[in-house]
This record gives sequence, C-alpha cells and structure tokens, in this order.
Amino acid sequence: MSTPIPRVVVPSAAAKGEVFQVKTIISHQMETGLRHDDQGQVIPRKIINRFVCRYGGVEVFSVDLHEAISANPFIEFSLRATESGRLEFIWEEDGGGVYQLEHQLAVA
Amino acid sequence: MGLTRRDVLMAGSVGSAALASAFFSPRSARSQDETMELVERLTGQTATVSDRLHLVMPAVFPTGYTVPMDLDMDSPMTEDDHVRRIRVFAPQNPKIIEVASFNFVPQRSIVRVSTRIRLAKPQYVVAVAEMSDGMLLMTKTWVDVATNGCA
Repeated sequence: MSTPIPRVVVPSAAAKGEVFQVKTIISHQMETGLRHDDQGQVIPRKIINRFVCRYGGVEVFSVDLHEAISANPFIEFSLRATESGRLEFIWEEDGGGVYQLEHQLAVA
Repeated sequence: MGLTRRDVLMAGSVGSAALASAFFSPRSARSQDETMELVERLTGQTATVSDRLHLVMPAVFPTGYTVPMDLDMDSPMTEDDHVRRIRVFAPQNPKIIEVASFNFVPQRSIVRVSTRIRLAKPQYVVAVAEMSDGMLLMTKTWVDVATNGCA
C-alpha cells in the first residue's frame, strides 16, 4: 500500500470566539481484516485507529477509529477560535505508523 | 340460509390475523428493546433515549462502503456539564460492531462531527453519549444500504 497522505482544509484566520470547521482526510485502505485474497487467506486488519487534533498544544478533539470507518477516512469537526496558535493533526495507524500535519491559525 | 363457507372463512382469517399481530409486535417497539439490551451489554450501563443527541444518516443509501454520518449534540461543555465521548455502533456488522468513539474536551470542543462509515446491511445505527456525570444518552437511526460495505 502506498504511503497514506493526509490532507486538511482549515481556515488560516478566524475571529475570536468564532466556530470554524476543519475537514480532514487521509488516503488509507482501512483493511478491515474481513477480506480474503485470491488464495483464500485472510488479509490482516490494518487501519488508522486514532486521530487527534491539538490546538496550542492542548488536545481538543480525538477519535478512536475501528474497522467500520470507511476507507480514506474523512473526519469533519468544528473548533472555537480561542487564540492564535498551532493546530496539529495526528493520525495513528495499526503497527505504529504516525502521520501528521500542522497548521497555523491567526485569531484576531 | 345458514352459516356459509364465506362466513367461516372470514371468521377464520380475522382470528388468525389477531393471532399473528399478537406474535409480531411493531418493529419499532421490538427494536428499541434490542437496542437498549445491546447498549447495556456493550457499556455495562443502562442508557436513556434522548433527543438532545442527533445522529443524522440517510435513510436509504446505494452503497454500504461510505455511508455519511453526522453527529451533534447540544451541550454547554462546561467542566460540570459536558459530553466526554460519543460512541457509535452498527450492531448488524460482522464482528466490527463499534464504529468509532468521538472524544471531546470541556470548554474546547464543539460537539459536531461528520464521517463516513461501513455498513454490512440495513440496520439501526446507534450512538451513545457518555456525559460528565456518568449518564448515558442514546439515539438510533435506520439506514437501508444496498450493498455490503464490510466485504
């Protein structure tokens, strides 16, 4: 499987107190562990099992994903703009893989 | 003319219909009990059905591979009154009943998420919100998918 590529759509600026939307997606097969290959062997489970969003170093939202989340997991959520700072998005994969993106948010 | 065959047949059909309805209670009543039992089994607690928790999914969807799911809840999100997490279950999925757990933080989180999930067959998708006082609130929605998204 090719390297999972994460993408985030988030505004670069927001008014203080404003609620803004964050759209995230990561390209990933999300192999459920229920499928079989041509030889009849079970293809082992390999999924993104956790997503974390940190705002100014503080965890503000996270998801524990299980096999029933679709391939190329799309997670859209909302945050309140409190102060200017760094938004970190972290995806953790079965087997220890970690994928990250960072974004600066300017709050007026 | 005395009792005709028609009269006997009519009486018979009415009688059997009454008998049948006694065995088959309306789907909603039966499924509510099943859902409550499932939640109790998975969480060890009894949940309360609540309309504060909104689980929005299409009633009918052509594929079970990427069914859209929107979840939101009204909550002050203060230290004393907030949602800790919302867990979503798809009870008719093979093995993989738990879909996800969305975890929130008081003061910082907004309780509104969207994602896409796999459903193996038409079923009630269930959401259970765990509140800061330990109480469980739940809701469910029926989704009819045309294909098996877990295969």
